[in-house]
Amino acid sequence: MFGRRALQTCRRPRILLSRPPAAYRRPYSTGDTRNAVGVFTPKSAALFIVTGLGLLWYFRHEKAKLIEQQEQERASKSYGRPMVGGPFSLQTHKGGIYTEKDLLGKWSLVYFGFTNCPDICPAELDKMGLFLDAAQKKHGNVFNPVFVSVDPARDSPARIAVYLKDFHPGFTGLVGTYQEVKAMCKAYRVYFSTPPNTKPEDDYLVDHSIFVYLMDPKGQFVEAFGQAVSVEDMLVKVEDAIKEFR
Amino acid sequence: MGWWPFSSSPKQDSPPTRTERQICWDSRDAYYACLDGVGVIRAGTEAPSACKAERKAYEGSCAQSWVKYFNERRRIAFAQKDMIAQANAQNAAATGKTTQ
Repeated sequence: MFGRRALQTCRRPRILLSRPPAAYRRPYSTGDTRNAVGVFTPKSAALFIVTGLGLLWYFRHEKAKLIEQQEQERASKSYGRPMVGGPFSLQTHKGGIYTEKDLLGKWSLVYFGFTNCPDICPAELDKMGLFLDAAQKKHGNVFNPVFVSVDPARDSPARIAVYLKDFHPGFTGLVGTYQEVKAMCKAYRVYFSTPPNTKPEDDYLVDHSIFVYLMDPKGQFVEAFGQAVSVEDMLVKVEDAIKEFR
Repeated sequence: MGWWPFSSSPKQDSPPTRTERQICWDSRDAYYACLDGVGVIRAGTEAPSACKAERKAYEGSCAQSWVKYFNERRRIAFAQKDMIAQANAQNAAATGKTTQ
């Protein structure tokens, strides 16, 4: 059935393995046996090993350094920097214009509240005052406390000016139109809510988030201090931030 | 009430001052102490004759919105205390059962 030809085609084709001409042979296969290793002399072997070991040591060292650096970063910051802050333009309690650029150069403490606040805002502003007195003694005049009103319907710059007399003299009070305040609150992730259908002369409270934002001299967000954070805790956190700041 | 800008003048030109706040808080604390004395949690549910003077002083020295806010907070604080006590009692009962 299967003829010889068929069997032959099934076989692997034979490759012609004739010795290449002398000209194509590699140098170490020719000549005398003393030079059997060719370029791979003891000297080059030593060089190869030393270079290899050197590179190995270098990479291991670099990797260890990188891991150490990452550990340090992780220790100093347990999370990434949140996107808090951004451009804004409001009026100061003295009547000037105040933008995000006015936060630059100093460590800013930004608090959002309103002057008709029953007890939390004044308590937080007093806490900021205590912090500022202690922190300025230690770090100098490098702080910029800011009070932003979330009640633009009632809190005029003049009203805020009167209100701030009860607190640390360094405070700058800010307010603007409802849209301007709303925009800044959005950038700072601050919630505030005025009861619906209220007139400026009404007696109402504004619900709002209670945080003191710490911004570094580059205007970048560092930390948000809640109500439960004590002055001592704030001092420690701020000192760490100042040390870490470059 | 001449010194309290909110109840006297409709235009709120000046914010409450530190002194005014303190007077309000003190009168509130006095009223709440009285309520505690007669065993009342919800302000306004006490007998009309009870804590009358304290209540008058409190409502006279604090803005109405503050009175509402403080009273609500007092109610919530007691409700929370209640809940915590209940939870603790339940926990105690549960651990008591398991250790038996």
